[in-house]
Amino acid sequence: MEELMNILTETCPGIDFEGQERLIDDGILDSLNIVMLVGELNEAFDISIGAEDLVPENFNSAQAIYALVQRLSDE
Amino acid sequence: MSINGAGFLLFLALAAGAYYLLPKKHRWLVLLAASAFFYLAYSVRAGAYLLATITLTFAAARGMEVLRRREREELDKWPEDRSAVKKRGKRRRRMVLAGALVLNFATLALFKYLDSWLGTANRLLGLFGVSQAFRPLGLLLPLGISFYIFQTSGYLIDVYRGRVKPEGNFLKYALFACWFPQMIQGPINRYDKLQPQLLRGNDPDPVKIKRAIQLMIWGVLKKAFLADPLAEAVAELFDNFTQYQGASLLLGSALYCVQLYADFSGGTDLVRGASALFGVDMAENFHRPYFARSMDEFWRRWHMSLGEWMKDYLFYPLALSGPMSRLGKRLRTRFGPQAGKLAAPCLSTVVVFLMVGLWQGPGMSNIAYGLWNGGLMSLAMIFAPWFLKVNQRLDLDGENLPFRVFQSLRTCGLVVVGRYFSRADSLMQALRMLKRTVFHFGWGSLGAETFLSFGLTGTDWLRLGLAGGTLLAVELLLEKGVPLRERLDQRPAWVQFALLFGAALLLTAFVYLNTDYTAIMYVYENV
Repeated sequence: MEELMNILTETCPGIDFEGQERLIDDGILDSLNIVMLVGELNEAFDISIGAEDLVPENFNSAQAIYALVQRLSDE
Repeated sequence: MSINGAGFLLFLALAAGAYYLLPKKHRWLVLLAASAFFYLAYSVRAGAYLLATITLTFAAARGMEVLRRREREELDKWPEDRSAVKKRGKRRRRMVLAGALVLNFATLALFKYLDSWLGTANRLLGLFGVSQAFRPLGLLLPLGISFYIFQTSGYLIDVYRGRVKPEGNFLKYALFACWFPQMIQGPINRYDKLQPQLLRGNDPDPVKIKRAIQLMIWGVLKKAFLADPLAEAVAELFDNFTQYQGASLLLGSALYCVQLYADFSGGTDLVRGASALFGVDMAENFHRPYFARSMDEFWRRWHMSLGEWMKDYLFYPLALSGPMSRLGKRLRTRFGPQAGKLAAPCLSTVVVFLMVGLWQGPGMSNIAYGLWNGGLMSLAMIFAPWFLKVNQRLDLDGENLPFRVFQSLRTCGLVVVGRYFSRADSLMQALRMLKRTVFHFGWGSLGAETFLSFGLTGTDWLRLGLAGGTLLAVELLLEKGVPLRERLDQRPAWVQFALLFGAALLLTAFVYLNTDYTAIMYVYENV
């Protein structure tokens, strides 16, 4: 989780990921943030996040992103 | 059947009456019958094309479901080969999806672009002495084809991604694809949002019906009192641009922005209101776009259902694709991490807006329009850190009102320039108009006489000013967060009725019973 938090804050500076539960629903993470973030996550965790994974449930909070990374790492 | 005519109102009243009189579980059949009647009254031949699209996409979605079931069976049979089975299943589903999408968009291309491509081929071959090698097909564009092709394609991709379960009942699926209010100019609805509302059998809700009628009236007012009169002046300026100075042409493009907004958002209000009469809320298309502070924000407020479609089904798949990822890595090694990060989103944005341009038409001016928007947005992404630094150095607070107004005006300026391309008949015309605007601006040429030379009288301009001022005031209040509708709801019933009655009277006198007025076709009715 710590590594993920580092990636999140480095890729999207200015966004407070702590305690946020509606990153997508409230428009805090925009499409540019998401694309850059996915690139970094794919590289760092050797996973492949596809367009089908880009649903609000997977990106609304740091926890949700962590769960997505874990699920894709297990596959 | 024109949706701006009294006949449409009668049709709506009859359909709504039948809908609410029938038992809940059969109500969706009224919606289907009304939609079929609406479309077939327009053209039986176009109805056949629509039916072909519905059949194709229904079958493809069912096919993907069958393959998904087969994959589950194989997983039960060979649990140790989980990864390989899943990969194989995905590949099979992808083939079905790709085949259906190619056929679906080929239909659109056939109607929308083929004649233009044949014309270009003829011109090119003409250079080598071959005359008229291809005869244009002269096919008439079926009503709403761009919208239903996009909507059904979105459904297929959602089924492929496992976001929605495919509809098993052909007639119920047909209703989703041909729901009549969306057939004129969208919005492009999503299956998971629209279908449950169409099928559940809504009960009449007086507040919802009242608001639906308000929305419809508001939409027709925008069209009749702003869009249509402005269309005349805009046509005069664009058709005879050589007779005008640059200032008039700039004004013409700005007026076109207002016309297009009143036309498209007015039409959308009307059809969203018509849909809401049956308790069905369709996707929003506009959120006061001219208050946007950047081009990016503008496109999140303008034609939102198309923007969302492009983002989910084109931008993300493209930006996250293998080639884009490899390109990003290469640029990262060569030019640093920032270049690597921005390559995919910038290139994908340009491609998306090229598609938005082509969606409007096959001409070079449409391509230029797409490049203008995509290019500006990509530049904004690239220079974002630089802009931030400049703002910090100049101590510009993002929430400061004059700065916000400046940002909105800057965005409007960029939109106005872009509209030269989307309104002009050709790229050459747009460029010549831009050249006149820059080099023959003619400060002071915009006198009262010039205004009267656009084909509108002083009274027309006065009426336009009143209509435009009212629209601006309403949008300003809404932008400031004033809940106008809720406030209206709190007024005594007689006040609400008087307002509604007054507006209806205005429309009856100036639109429905006015033999001098015939609604101009919506700008996006034929895309």
